[in-house]
Amino acid sequence: MKKQHLLVWMIGLAFASGCSSSTEPDKLTRSVTKTPDADDVIDEQLMIALGQAKNFHYKAKVYMSDGKVAEAIAAVRQILSLRFPATAPEADDVRNDARALLGRLLVSQAQLDEAMRVVDEGLAAVTRESFFVANLYTVKGEIHFARATALTTDPRATEEKRAAIDALEKSIKINEALQKQLERQ
Amino acid sequence: MKIDDDDFLTGAVPDPDTEPTATERAHAKAFSDLIDKTLASGKLPPAMSADDRALLEVATVIRATHGALDLAPSKQRSVVEDALRQAIGGGNAATSLPGGAPVIPLRRRLRTLPWAIAGTSSLVAAAAIVMLVVRKPQLVTTPQTPEMPLSWKSRPTDTLIGRISTECTGLVLDCAREATVKTSARIDTIFSDRLAGYRDRRFGGKR
Repeated sequence: MKKQHLLVWMIGLAFASGCSSSTEPDKLTRSVTKTPDADDVIDEQLMIALGQAKNFHYKAKVYMSDGKVAEAIAAVRQILSLRFPATAPEADDVRNDARALLGRLLVSQAQLDEAMRVVDEGLAAVTRESFFVANLYTVKGEIHFARATALTTDPRATEEKRAAIDALEKSIKINEALQKQLERQ
Repeated sequence: MKIDDDDFLTGAVPDPDTEPTATERAHAKAFSDLIDKTLASGKLPPAMSADDRALLEVATVIRATHGALDLAPSKQRSVVEDALRQAIGGGNAATSLPGGAPVIPLRRRLRTLPWAIAGTSSLVAAAAIVMLVVRKPQLVTTPQTPEMPLSWKSRPTDTLIGRISTECTGLVLDCAREATVKTSARIDTIFSDRLAGYRDRRFGGKR
């Protein structure tokens, strides 16, 4: 009988200590050696994506040195499908820069509609203003101007020229705002 | 009852194939009757030889092992209670058999044991709940993480690249080629800067 009482008390104490320890989950999950949030730091995934982007740009540069524009376009397109960390600001910058270059390469091949589609896709996905976004607006202006030039005497040429001015104005405004912001810092 | 069987108990063992003698038959018949009477009445004869008593006990055991002998209800109860008492660490079983007096407290204890266990468990559980409710929540102080260097962070590259120049006075294709070179230079700059930060974070500044 005494043994059974002792057993019951031991079970009770184990139950009580289990309950009390369950009230301190943070103590266990939060480590003193915890490093800063993984989303903020430069990690392997970002470096791999940047390295890939660097290689594709180099590839495009080599193709262009031989006048192989189509191959250069294909190389730059691959940058758009690279997987960056979801919250890395570098990803937006690299993609917008690639879109701007892709737009210019397509303009050089007289593929104005495709160039405009690439640029508009990039502008639609903008989450913050940057020099790269300003550059995209510049390319958008160049595409409108190229369209206007192709239309010559067509009345739509005036609209394209107006759209080009608007896009370039937008680019200038973004650049100025960012420049002032950097100077204040 | 007196049976004189010294001649075949002490004499030479007869051949098993030989026919039993009239004396042997008469002795076997008399012993058979004795066993039947004893088992039917449950009482031993008042006087009998030691050899007959030994043979009678053997015959009784043989009959009992064949299941033809029932124990009296009081005897059965006594045996079962003794077994239970031994199982829970009680006293000597032999002491309870004749009188049966210690069996009653054992039953009482068996009845009260589940209630005792349940009551004790409830008390412990109630104490644990009260402790959980009454106790103050502990303040968990999170350790301050050291300020992370900016170069370790993933961040916009505007300050690194600056305003992007697109001036080009050449042909469209030449401008595209020039843009390719400039864009490649920008990604080189970004990559080199972030690689330095990454190495600094991972390898403590070793290049």
